[in-house]
This record gives sequence, C-alpha cells and structure tokens, in this order.
Amino acid sequence: MSHGVLTREQLGHLRHWDNLSRQLPNDWSLMQGKGVSQDDFGGYRFQLAYMVYGLALAHRHRLPAAPGLFAPTIRRLIEKLLMPEVWLYWRDVSRGGSVFNAHLSEGLAEEWDPVVRDNIMYSAYVQSCAALHDQLFGTDHYAAPGSLTFRHWSFFWGGPEKRFAYDRDSLTEHLYWLMVESGYLGVACEPNCVFQICNQPAILGFRLHDQITGGARADDVVAGYEKAWADFGRLDDAGHYAMMISQDTREVRPNERPSPWVDAWCGALMNTWNHDFVHGHYRRQVADFLEPGPDGTVSVPSAPARQVMGQEIVSDTCDFGWVAAWASEMGDRDTLDGLLAHADRFMTPTWRDGGLYYPRNDTPSDADGRRTEIEPMSGNVLLGYARLNVADGLRRIYQEPWPAGHHDAPRLAAVDRDVEVSRAEVVDGVLHARLRRDRTVPGEGTVTLAGLPPGTRLWLGGTEVTPRTPSVLDVPDGAAVDMVAAP
Amino acid sequence: MTAPPIRATYSLVDHHNTPVTERTYRGRWQLVQFGFTSCRVVCPRALAKLDDVLDRLGDAAAAVVPLYVTVDPERDIPERLEAHLEATHPRFTGLTGTAEQTGDAAASFRVFTRRRDTPAGYDVQHTAMTYLLDPAAAPARYWSDTRDAESIAADLTALLAAART
Repeated sequence: MSHGVLTREQLGHLRHWDNLSRQLPNDWSLMQGKGVSQDDFGGYRFQLAYMVYGLALAHRHRLPAAPGLFAPTIRRLIEKLLMPEVWLYWRDVSRGGSVFNAHLSEGLAEEWDPVVRDNIMYSAYVQSCAALHDQLFGTDHYAAPGSLTFRHWSFFWGGPEKRFAYDRDSLTEHLYWLMVESGYLGVACEPNCVFQICNQPAILGFRLHDQITGGARADDVVAGYEKAWADFGRLDDAGHYAMMISQDTREVRPNERPSPWVDAWCGALMNTWNHDFVHGHYRRQVADFLEPGPDGTVSVPSAPARQVMGQEIVSDTCDFGWVAAWASEMGDRDTLDGLLAHADRFMTPTWRDGGLYYPRNDTPSDADGRRTEIEPMSGNVLLGYARLNVADGLRRIYQEPWPAGHHDAPRLAAVDRDVEVSRAEVVDGVLHARLRRDRTVPGEGTVTLAGLPPGTRLWLGGTEVTPRTPSVLDVPDGAAVDMVAAP
Repeated sequence: MTAPPIRATYSLVDHHNTPVTERTYRGRWQLVQFGFTSCRVVCPRALAKLDDVLDRLGDAAAAVVPLYVTVDPERDIPERLEAHLEATHPRFTGLTGTAEQTGDAAASFRVFTRRRDTPAGYDVQHTAMTYLLDPAAAPARYWSDTRDAESIAADLTALLAAART
C-alpha cells in the first residue's frame, strides 16, 4: 500500500521537476546558484541528481504503479547530468589548489575524464542515478555500452573531441576499485579531500547495482568503510558528523561552526545502511540547528559566511533545504511540517507551468528577522524531496527492492505530459489511479496501461468505460477522476 | 563475478630468497593474499580462511599456488616469512622484496597500504582482498574479505573444473 493521494503541493513539485527536465539543452533557467564554476551546491549536478532521487522516492513510496510517469523524466535528468556544462569544472578542479590542499597543485595535471579519479561528488551521482533508473524500472537501459558517455568538443577551443565512454556496469566497477584502492575510506571529491557524505551516494549505487546484477559490493564496501572510519570517528568532538579527511595528512576536519548542511546531508543519506547510528544521534544534532518561529514555523539559521585568505566564501549552503530532507528521512513530522510552513510563509512559493518551487532569494531575512534566503538547490529540489519522502524512504529503497513480479503488475506504462497522477497503486490485484488533465502544459491527455490481465474492465469516475484502444485511455477534462482497472 | 581490473604483475623474492615474478608460477593458479606477519587480526583470519578453502578443494588444490605477499618488507625479510608461514600456514609461499618492489606489487593489485604508528611500533593497514591469477598469470577472480571459505571454495572448484574441460 502506498501513502495515499498526493497533495497539490507534492504534485506541484513533481510538475516542476518535469518542467526543468524539459528545458532546452544548456537552458539552466531557475537553477543558477551564487557561486561560479559549478562549485558546491550551486552545481547543477546536485539539483539534477536529487531530483532523480526525489522522483525515485515518490515512485517507490507514493505512486508505485506509475513507472511511465517517472522513467522518462529521470532519463531526461540523467541526460542533462552528462552534459559538459555540468562536469567541465573537473578539468580545472582536478588540478587542485583549494585552500585545503594548495600544496598539491604542483603535482596534479588537468584531467578531462570527470569520473576517472577523485570527483566522487559527481561520479557517484551518475552511477547511482543510472542504477536507480534501472532498478526501479526493471531495465538494463544504462547497461548498454557507452550509455554513460562524457563528451565535449568545441569549435573554438580545446582541440579534438574528448569522449569517455562508460555504462552502468563499467562505472560501478570503476568506482568500486577506486574505493578498494582508498582502503575503503572513500574516494576524494576535490583532490586529497575525502568527504564522509560524498561517498554515501556511491554506496547507494553499489547496493542498487547488487540488486540488479547480484553480488555484494555494497556489503563489502560498508564493512570496509566502517573499519576504515573507525580510526577517525564518524562524529567530531561536538557530536556532529566529521566533514572530511585529508588523504595525505589523515587530518579530520570537524563540522566546525557547526554547519547544518554537513549533518543533514550526511544523515539523510547514511541512513540507508546505518539506521540505528543516524537515528540515535539525530535528535541531539538537529536541536542545534532549529529556530522556532511564529505559528509553529521552524527555521534553520545559517552561520555567517566564512572569511578565508582575506576572501569571503560565496556559496549556497542549502542549510534549510538539507535539514528538511533530513527530517523527512528521519520521520520527524513536526520539524518537517514546521520547516515547510516557514517556507510557505516566508520563501515565496511560486507556481509556474503547473509546477511549484521557491525561487532563489539572496536576502538573508525579512524586516522581522525571518529567514528568506533560499538557494535553487533548496527551492527547486530539496523542499520537494522532503515533501515527497516518507520516513526511512531512502533507506527502504536501499534495503527493500521491489517485490517479485512488480514490473509485470498492472501499471501506467506511459503518461502524457498533461496528465497529473495523484494516485497509482495496485491493491489486491486491482489498479487504482487518480488522474487529471492539466491544461497548463501541452500533451495528448492519455495514459497507457500495461500488465492488465485479459478481461480487465475499466472504470473512470465510477462509470465503466471502453478505452479507444485496449491500452490507451483518454483522460477527460475537469476535476481529477478515479480510474479502476479490475479483472 | 568478473576478473578484477588489475595489472597483477610483480617482481619479488620468495621466502627462499629466489627471485620470482607472476610468470614464475605459470601453469598453476595463483591464490594471492597481501598482508604482513605482524598482523594480529586480519591476516591470521584471512590465511586461516584460505587454508580452509584449500582443504575444501581436496586434490584439486595441487593446481593452486597459495602466495602471501608482504606489505611490510622492512620486517618481513625472507627468513622471517619462511619461519612464520612454516609454523602457521605451511602451504603458503611468502613473497617479499624492497619497499619499492612490494609497493609496486601492491599498486599493481590495487591494494591499499598505509603504515601507521602504534604504541608498539607500527603496523600496516591494508585491504584484505584475495586474488586469483589463472595459469597464464592473468587476473581471473577476486574475493573480498567478507566472502567465506565455503563460497570461495565453490567458486574455485567451478573454475578449476571448467579449466579442465
């Protein structure tokens, strides 16, 4: 049984993600963050990947009988994830020179292949998103050779075409061996910087790959990862998640300030395989970050921007969005509701082409001191992710593959863009869906059914109907209608 | 399970001080484990498991050369390796060399190693993967530390049987 009928807001987030997935190549409208060169959460890779994760959560837990609603959107987002604009930063970042490791920059060469070494902050998302797609939809789409190819060529610079061909299996194998070579401590993001959080998506990807192909890579990696981090401790002296470790000095950087995003991001993902630990520390950790507001609203203040080397760090912290995502995974309904209430009251919820988002706002607070600042990653993605997730939602994707026979069960195999699906599940062999024709976007207004046993009868709004073909059903204009397909 | 993406090359000496490379053992299957004789937990457990694997193979074990490659060449000179293995795991041949040679061997198998100071001196952190090279000395299989003797023996038995047909 899924989690009931989607709310207007949940449907709005799904529509917004679908709209973003359909933007023309290199149209990143509404997605640009504060920083330059795809640094930190301003990077498109994070928005694209967590839209995929959010869609996966919504499909797995809320609309399990609507693969046709989700699969095309996820494929479009992965297609964008492979675009050079998303990963070309690695050509520069691979040379090192961050404030953490300026001493290494002399020994590092420019690297074009964005997954061949380090950069797990990108490669693991490509890997895990492809695996999510194939696991959720029971396909080997991304097992096709070259299906995950990174390609760049410019008429104006850069010489010959750069082309790096991978697929779901070869990329997983490659990342696994990078993990082995690291002693299971983890693969670096920027050179020399192994972030605890950034290896969590890879672990999720290993698990999904195991579910698809058999094997036990995730168990191997988790066992090794636990041992490797035992020397350093997952938590810092203040009880927050250690942020990163320098490969050369083995120095651990704590969550110094502390920053909400460090704990929230890590906790939201590490819960997949480390439930008791994450839940055991959650209440105490999150209490350090929450600020109660009027009428049950809850906010998350961000620490002032740091000054380093005489420079102010410009970045999208996404503190608010990450704490919302974390609370959703922890099943902390009170905190999540308070955060969403704050967002709806102070962060300008906006509807565009049927989609809901919270537009970027760089102003820290309003006249009353209420947080108004929100980044594209939070406003486009994380608040929707939090709203669509369920308690332990990502963990359940990790732990519980679909039941046997799921991919052959009655389902909405295709959904036109202009059809809104607020319910899609099979109960006792009967397909139940709630459908609405949405005229704010173009489309043919049909759904395509599959997996129906011979002799299945269809009802729409309580009236038995005969579809125009055995599998294609026209969705009428007007209010949402319930569809029932029963043998 | 596919062959590991490793070079699997080495130029070392065995515990009789005889120079060896991966080609030395061509014609037999090489079962390769990295470790060091001062290791207190991981290596004794891994070698005991591989002894169990070899027992389970029965006569077919004759086609397998069990090798134990040190990640601690400073202490694991040939004489020490020989004494240690003959006393504890006599079917294994120990391989060692200079720090550069053992480092190259570890890198070619993509084995992580790191020397770590301890109150008693130092130890060497390392990954405990088990590798199999085929009779042509090409990488054939690997098993992570979490795999038990029964499953490794089953894989090996199937491989050896397939090679005989």
